[in-house]
Amino acid sequence: MTSTNAVKAAQLRQAAEDAFAEEIAALRQSDDRPRPPNWGMSPQAVVTYLLGGRLASGFEVTPKYIGDRRLMEVAVATLATDRALLLLGVPGTAKSWVSEHLAAAICGTSRLIVQGTAGTSEEAIRYGWNYALLLAKGPSREAVVASPIMRAMNEGRIARVEELTRIPSETQDSFITVLSEKTLPIPELNEEVAAQKGFNLIATANNRDRGVNELSSALKRRFNTVVLPPPATIEAEIAIVETRVAALGRAFEIPAEPPGAEQIRRVVTIFRELREGITADGKSKVKQPSGTLSTAEAISVVGSGLALAAHFGDGRLSAHDLVSGISGAVVKDPVQDAIVWREYLETVVKERDGWKDLYQAARASA
Amino acid sequence: MPEIRLFGIRHHGPGSARSLKAALDAFNPDCLLIEGPPDADALIPLSVQEGMAPPVALLVYRPDRPRDCAFFPFAAFSPEWVAMHHGIAAGAGVRFIDLPHAIQLADGFGAPEAPPEVAPIDAEPVSEAAGNASEHQPAPAAIRRDPLGELAALAGYPDGERWWDALVESRAGADGDVFAAIGEAMAALREGAETDADEAFREAAREAHMRSAIRKAAKEGFGRIAVVCGAWHVPALARHDAKGQATADAATLKNLPKTKVAAAWAPWSYERLAMASGYRAGVLSPEWYDTLWHHEGRVAARWLARAAALLRENDLDASPASVIEAARLAEALAGFRGRSRPSLDDLDEAAQATLCFADPAPMGLIRRKLVIGERLGATPPDSPGTPVEADFAAQCKRLRLKPGASAGEITLDLRKETDLARSHFLNRLALIGIPWGTRREARGRGTFKEGWFLSWEPEWVVELVAASAEGGTIAEAAAGRVRTRAHGATRVADLSGLIGTLLDADLAEATAEVIRALNDRAAVSADVFDLMDALPALAELARYGSVRAADTAPVLAVVRGLVPRAAAGLVAACQSLDDDAASAAKTRIVAVSGAIALIEEPELRAVWGEALRALADQEHVHGRVVGRAARLLFDDRAIDAGEAGARLRLALSRASGAGPAAAWIEGFLEDSGTVLIHGRELLAVVDAWLCGLDADLFTELLPLVRRTFATLAPAERRAVGEALARPGGAAPGEAEGAEHFDAARAARVLPILHLLLGPEPARTAGETTGDAA
Repeated sequence: MTSTNAVKAAQLRQAAEDAFAEEIAALRQSDDRPRPPNWGMSPQAVVTYLLGGRLASGFEVTPKYIGDRRLMEVAVATLATDRALLLLGVPGTAKSWVSEHLAAAICGTSRLIVQGTAGTSEEAIRYGWNYALLLAKGPSREAVVASPIMRAMNEGRIARVEELTRIPSETQDSFITVLSEKTLPIPELNEEVAAQKGFNLIATANNRDRGVNELSSALKRRFNTVVLPPPATIEAEIAIVETRVAALGRAFEIPAEPPGAEQIRRVVTIFRELREGITADGKSKVKQPSGTLSTAEAISVVGSGLALAAHFGDGRLSAHDLVSGISGAVVKDPVQDAIVWREYLETVVKERDGWKDLYQAARASA
Repeated sequence: MPEIRLFGIRHHGPGSARSLKAALDAFNPDCLLIEGPPDADALIPLSVQEGMAPPVALLVYRPDRPRDCAFFPFAAFSPEWVAMHHGIAAGAGVRFIDLPHAIQLADGFGAPEAPPEVAPIDAEPVSEAAGNASEHQPAPAAIRRDPLGELAALAGYPDGERWWDALVESRAGADGDVFAAIGEAMAALREGAETDADEAFREAAREAHMRSAIRKAAKEGFGRIAVVCGAWHVPALARHDAKGQATADAATLKNLPKTKVAAAWAPWSYERLAMASGYRAGVLSPEWYDTLWHHEGRVAARWLARAAALLRENDLDASPASVIEAARLAEALAGFRGRSRPSLDDLDEAAQATLCFADPAPMGLIRRKLVIGERLGATPPDSPGTPVEADFAAQCKRLRLKPGASAGEITLDLRKETDLARSHFLNRLALIGIPWGTRREARGRGTFKEGWFLSWEPEWVVELVAASAEGGTIAEAAAGRVRTRAHGATRVADLSGLIGTLLDADLAEATAEVIRALNDRAAVSADVFDLMDALPALAELARYGSVRAADTAPVLAVVRGLVPRAAAGLVAACQSLDDDAASAAKTRIVAVSGAIALIEEPELRAVWGEALRALADQEHVHGRVVGRAARLLFDDRAIDAGEAGARLRLALSRASGAGPAAAWIEGFLEDSGTVLIHGRELLAVVDAWLCGLDADLFTELLPLVRRTFATLAPAERRAVGEALARPGGAAPGEAEGAEHFDAARAARVLPILHLLLGPEPARTAGETTGDAA
């Protein structure tokens, strides 16, 4: 067991249930409310796990989602009523993050996952065949290669589907039987896999890009939809970036000092202003770049800035370390966005008190 | 000694009403004392009359000054309404016991200064002002204003409404004990509360009066007295029989001023009940409360089914399966949040997640129809109406207009007295938010005719009622509304627009006020263009307003005041304009010149002419503006062709640069080229300038010049072109004919024509030739 733990600790990225194993254990222990069948903890405890809080035992649970409590309540209540949950939102609003933590808290694993792509086939959702066995022994349960969905049904756990709308429409429809009948027929064997209590599905989809496969209304009706909005306030967004950057710094063993709140505030301010097309004081308009400039990108900008500072700088995050990341995030279209960014630098950054270093660093790198 | 019980209620709370109903059934009082205006005591029996349908409101007002008034809205689920009905049905005495508005509305009541707020006095600062509970350390006054909000904040609820909803309104059973608990909670809250001085006096007087009314009823020999009042007042009213209280109350109520007031029932609407601003802090969800009140049990399923039906009516997908899922999710959420039944929040979120697929648009529909609702109240036809309603009815009768009638068009002849009055009436109604008639283009287009399309909406009754807050008649209310708007107007041009509306509505007094406001505003306005924007509309009024038999002299006076101001600031305002601004300025200058031409006052013309001349002399002003100024002067014959030519030459001279020159040309020629056709001299100047440009400059300026000439009429363009093609030649058309005319060949046809037509004088032969050709 220690060896597997060591292996897990060496993993580049730990799954939620491993990274927060201690918290999950503590929550399960102190949880005395009724649990839905096959759930690791009560719905209230799941919400506490997501939003953080102090347990009766004094144990501190860190917040995973910083945002509206009511949204998380609706999401968890949905899963408790055995309705499938669809998390919608623009990129970087923590859809997959929430989905992963929900699955980890409810059933102890977040790994029963189907990644939706244009090439996702029906086998990835239903089952495939071990062709060697199939040829040797003919159709049998042994020869069936179960998909993550099928395994989740068998074990009464939560399955996750990432980027549902990227899956071709005809493949998407395989979910309908799973969600309405809660069974997965295997016609070749004249059998079916019935879902155990506790099975459910969390799907995520991006509601911004339109070049995707819209859900059919039959499938749509089988999901409860929760829209995750971009962070409501700048303080919330700074908190998100701070916690995530701290966690990433640990994971990648970056030797730099943790970034000052001031640098994070600057990155978040720039992202918010460009995203919303208006300066933070609401006084002047700003052109919007083509990218989404999500919180997730802000996190990676600060993260890469930290790495730059640690390995090539003096270990302290400076404006210089941030600038290349920021302009990389803003300038997605080399012509249009470059104009937007230059204009923003000249009209907003240059004028702002205490931002001179950032302006100069940006001018130097441009 | 009679048995006296106090029932502390929450205004407009269906749960509160239900508890009260059960409690009253059990207590069976022979006298009901309700917190309400005693001035309206006589109207209480009307509440059970046929034709009375809540939501309705009691209006108490001063007949001499109807703006001083207070509204008391009641819905079917209002505990006061329930109490009234219970009392009347049981044959008990029913009275209102609040401090009479005859006192509250009297001059000199309360603080020495009259309350500054424009809105009518709140009958009762209600407890459900949502949204201020988020402050962590509420001021004591906030507790007074929203006692239940503070209790809710302590209990961890986002606002008072939800808290009460969860604890009282959504409770399955009705339980009389709740009133004792509320009394205790309020007693605890009042201990810590302080009130500001102004409110404190009013409140002390109100509670003193209520206590005296309770003592009075007790003396009259009633056996069981029920007092229904806002929860906040319970601890104070409980002291009614304390020792020495009667003397203290008498002292408080001594020497209060009094005035004469009248009261009326008026129809109300859920929409208005939900309005957060205005007469009372609103109930946020009247229709939801209505559902709670009328359908005990299974409310969630009913509400969601209605939501689904509503979506289907609007061609949105909403399957019964989704309704089931929504109900399940709502139940789960309620259980999750520790409530026995889903509250509106839970239902709202469940509907959003399952029925609307997170699309906000359908939720807006649900909010409008099922949370706020569109229910409209009615009052019996014979009940006394509000003053504005009465005025409306009287005018409708006099002018033979029928509100209920189906939609249709009418054409008014403004020379007839009745038609003119109708036009005034419709315009006034539009000013108070009742667009009964919409203006149509009248057939015949005569200035004396006015076309209207009439279409009546029942909910406008409520607007009429609400207009009572502004005055006693339609005219007064309309004038009041305009005053408010004039007060908020920031531009002179906004005010000048209002004057037109006012003249149409024949509101002389308000017109005078707005004109005064306009003069004041114009005097301090630094924005010359704003003044110029105001002028054309005013000039038109001054010139043509008399058709409507309106007195336009004051408008003319305003124009006389505005023109010199605009003229004085014109040159300064036109400095350093960019292309767009110059174009806008040019348009304004043209409009004002038109307006001044319309008024035909030589003095104003002279003043404006001087300003234009000064503008035309400017060196560094945008060419488009200067060019147009020169053109206007030329058109007005203030300068002759010679001077215009000189100016044109100067503007087009090489030193001034090609760009400004082109702009000047554009300003000078835009929209009309007649000057070039008739003033050959000018054309020659333009021609010389254009030919003198070198190739690069020509290419650069060509689009601009083309653009200028494109604004001329095609015929003008042709005439200009032809004139240029033959400098000094004959008139166009003739020239071509003369060149190709061979007299000898034509003469050879003449003998044949003579044969055909007979001998004719030579003149006629010429004509015939023309025909044959």
